Amino acid sequence: MAFTLTDEFKQRAEKICARYPRRDAALIPLLLELQREAGYVAEEAMDALSGYLGLPYSRVKAVVTFYTMFNRVPAGKYHLQVCRNISCHMAGAPGLLAALRARLGIEEGETTKDGLFTLSAVECLGACGDAPVLQVNEDYFGRVTAEKLDVLLEDLKHGKYPSTR
Amino acid sequence: MPKITIDGKTAEVAKGTTVLQAAQALGIVIPRYCYHPSLSISGNCRMCLVEVEKSPKLLTACSTEAADGMVVRTDSDKVKAARRDVLEYLLINHPLDCPICDQAGECGLQDYYMEHSRAKSRFPQEDKVRRQKRRALGPHLVLDNERCILCTRCVRFCSEVTKTSELEVMERGDHSYIDLKQGKALDNGYTLNLADICPVGAWTSRDFRFKQRVWFLKRTPTVCLGCATGCLMEAHHNDGVLYRLVPRPNAETNTWLCDHGRMTYKAVRAGDRLAKGVIKNGLIELEPALREAAGRIDENHPAAAVLGSPWLSVEDNAALARLAKDAIKTENFCFDFPGAQGVKDGILINEDPAPNARGARLVKDAYGGIALEELRARIVDGRVKTVVTEARAAAFVRDAVKASGARLIVFATNRADIPPAAYATLPYACYFEVPGTFVNFQGLRRRAEPSVAAPEGVRPLWALVNRLAAYSGASLHLDSAADALKEIVFK
Amino acid sequence: MENILLRDKVRDLEGYFACGGYRALKKALAMKPADVTEEVKKSGLRGRGGAGFPTGLKWSFIPKDAQGPRYLVCNADEGEPGTFKDRELLLKNPHALIEGMAIAGYAIGASRGYIYVRGEFAAETALLDKAIGDARAKGFIGRNLLGSGFDFELSTHRGAGAYICGEETALLESLEGFKGQPRLKPPFPAVKGLFAAPTVINNVETLAAVPAIIERGGEWYASIGVPKSSGTKLFCVSGPVDRPGVYELPLGVPLRDLIEKTCGGLKAGKRLKAVIPGGSSVPVLTAEEALKVNLDYDSLAAAGTMLGSGGVIVIDDSQCMVKLLQVLARFYHHESCGQCTPCREGCGWIEKLLDRLEGGTGTPADIDTLVSVAEGMTGRTICPLADAMAMPVISFVKKFRAEFEAHAAGRCCPPEAAGKH
Repeated sequence: MAFTLTDEFKQRAEKICARYPRRDAALIPLLLELQREAGYVAEEAMDALSGYLGLPYSRVKAVVTFYTMFNRVPAGKYHLQVCRNISCHMAGAPGLLAALRARLGIEEGETTKDGLFTLSAVECLGACGDAPVLQVNEDYFGRVTAEKLDVLLEDLKHGKYPSTR
Repeated sequence: MPKITIDGKTAEVAKGTTVLQAAQALGIVIPRYCYHPSLSISGNCRMCLVEVEKSPKLLTACSTEAADGMVVRTDSDKVKAARRDVLEYLLINHPLDCPICDQAGECGLQDYYMEHSRAKSRFPQEDKVRRQKRRALGPHLVLDNERCILCTRCVRFCSEVTKTSELEVMERGDHSYIDLKQGKALDNGYTLNLADICPVGAWTSRDFRFKQRVWFLKRTPTVCLGCATGCLMEAHHNDGVLYRLVPRPNAETNTWLCDHGRMTYKAVRAGDRLAKGVIKNGLIELEPALREAAGRIDENHPAAAVLGSPWLSVEDNAALARLAKDAIKTENFCFDFPGAQGVKDGILINEDPAPNARGARLVKDAYGGIALEELRARIVDGRVKTVVTEARAAAFVRDAVKASGARLIVFATNRADIPPAAYATLPYACYFEVPGTFVNFQGLRRRAEPSVAAPEGVRPLWALVNRLAAYSGASLHLDSAADALKEIVFK
Repeated sequence: MENILLRDKVRDLEGYFACGGYRALKKALAMKPADVTEEVKKSGLRGRGGAGFPTGLKWSFIPKDAQGPRYLVCNADEGEPGTFKDRELLLKNPHALIEGMAIAGYAIGASRGYIYVRGEFAAETALLDKAIGDARAKGFIGRNLLGSGFDFELSTHRGAGAYICGEETALLESLEGFKGQPRLKPPFPAVKGLFAAPTVINNVETLAAVPAIIERGGEWYASIGVPKSSGTKLFCVSGPVDRPGVYELPLGVPLRDLIEKTCGGLKAGKRLKAVIPGGSSVPVLTAEEALKVNLDYDSLAAAGTMLGSGGVIVIDDSQCMVKLLQVLARFYHHESCGQCTPCREGCGWIEKLLDRLEGGTGTPADIDTLVSVAEGMTGRTICPLADAMAMPVISFVKKFRAEFEAHAAGRCCPPEAAGKH
């Protein structure tokens, strides 16, 4: 399927480009925008964006593969990202990950069959005081316990998105 | 001008000179992988670390500018340890496939390992990071990501020299790898340079792979005849067989060599290589072919014409001029090939696909002759009935010959070059087989040197001219290529 | 000691303004730019991102005669494990950063500023955008600030997940839309930085301290803390303490006080085993060392470690040091940009050695290899990420060698940590 950048996207993109003396500086913000719309950055999207910004495709691809936040395949509706760095590790991140693997029946990097959850183990999220930390899409959940995790998963399954802070 | 001391030797160098360059000028070779004199500085391989007085850390010689009073050591224990360590890091994830690697013998890893390390690996083989093994990328190259040391020379080449930017390092850390768009071929006209500049066996030439171990190769400096640019190059050969062509970097003309130029050697042993004469479409021994050609010329000397060729050496063109003037004794000869000249792609490839239009002009200067237009006119109006020329140059009079039905006698190396209208074709030795002088678009005199022998019975063009003249009862006294140059004045 | 940075009721512009906000900007705009820099030099403020470079001095490196644009960049790419102070500041006191940037921009002659926020901080970026919009509406950002004739435009820029972008030249690459790979230096950013123009890059906490310094004077700020470590610092404490979190304290306070008083000590039943005092990249301290050291640049350097980002990671005796180092090694291996050979190859090698030791297949020779690989990476790369990997490795092995040897000998851990990971 041919991928085209919508006029609406282009309007927003022009505003973002205008923040920089060179348009190509907007590459990462624009990739984030594309991902926000589609849940991932498809090859076609990279092609379209490289054309839009007048950049070699290879540069766009290199950027997409360098940064960890870009999904190259569609992620689930809820992307559960468990921090596993030192503070979260000490606070029980391995147990949290194990619980999620068991509850969802998937390994890290996988998505549940219903397309609801993607599970990832990630490096330090910069919220170590709230360890262990779980990020759901763009929101942080701190001091996650087994009980809190159960409630959270139930809420998410029923389309209830809890407030984070 | 800053004065710098390296390993006790002092040199005064131009401002902006790097420590690596200054060392080179002093005859001190600092090992390097990512540095390439014709590409931007990347500083990633860390092989060129040197000790600079007053700097607590080792510095990369490739990126550090020489400063006045700077004292550098490239042979201290600290430097040696750093080189050993960097080599060990580079080798931990490098496959152990030297026995089947085409780079063996000219591999930066092998060479520096022998020179700077010789340590036993402490890394378990089963822990090696695996990457994609060989795959063809484009018409000329194979990429083996597992052998790659990520020096990014290839990435920089494609972004800085060809400005095509196909390549990038994807992903990051020790899982990163060189790649281009999925499904795209790497075909920018200069791709084989990657096989040269790749310091390891990651990029190899599809053409050269597995043909010959490099330590068996003999090297002959020569010139590329792929176009009027006249790049200096080296022919690599063994046992009378050519294997590859690589650039001889020089300040005047070329650092690189284009893919087209690199493949010019293929004609030497191509299936259609001519070892015999051709009359109409039938193969015939050389002597009868010469006799037949001479007979046709002798039918009507005033109606014979000789057209030189920008594909031929100055010597062979001069021999053709002598044929016209001293044997056939006709005024119908032409060594006038104007044609646009100049590098058309901003890199190397010339507007003029022929290598020696300027060399042919020297023959014109010495012997005169008529303009190409005039020759065409004389063919069309029937004053010229037989044209002697070189196969590719025949294209200059193709329409005229077609219109008038004039007879075409051509010299050719390969059957593919023979124009359909040719009546007789005489095989000659190419410039990988015999020497020749060429003048490139800049007016620089360049010498083609032979590296292999011509096929049995195939002779230099000037020698064939000598024979043709003899059949016509004239003696040109050409005993060598140099004899043909007697009246030529090089500027 | 009152807090300078972490204050209440300053989340929004009204609150910030009510507490005296943007007065410092007005004062600065009435000063000569060089005098603003001078005041910051006087304060003794040092970069709070980790390196501790004197801020005023950094500003003064911008070439005086530089033509064309100059840039001010705020490094909010907080990603050093154990560090979460900038996020707290962005959430609680965004205008201190915005005001600090306007002042710093004025001082260095930069009319354009960017705040590079780590990609995961989406909500924080949205809050910042709102705060910048509010400030712009009041004339604190934009054209002709407060009628001074000085323009300062400011926007946020989100990263996309790369620890290395916290390194200032990698950050610039990322801000320009490239992979975050550190640049060769020289040239330094002050000469050739963002878009090849003179650029100053400062941490969030550094810039947020500037308004108070301008308002109350460099001498006042220098009077806080201890010599060569002036002012307050945000310490972020994580690990099994009773009250983990971000605390603002004068530099020079004993680490012991931070852990025992401010954070309420370790959780019941836990005993202190080690502390990483400045984010995961600095050398670890044993409990004994930790309880003796003060939290300032010189004291920590004398103890063989660094103040770093102020990320204090408390480790208790139920933790296995081999396992923790493996966790850190996995991180650095994951985050190495892959540019320089020693870091690209060394980080992975270290993780594999630790995998073997932790997995029970390691040998005593692996421990020596571990240290020598780390030493071989040290000081030999473009940026400090290799050193950031090497320092924990070398210090963990040096100070907790018995645990590594126990692993190599096939026993899991020393008894107190056995079976608890």
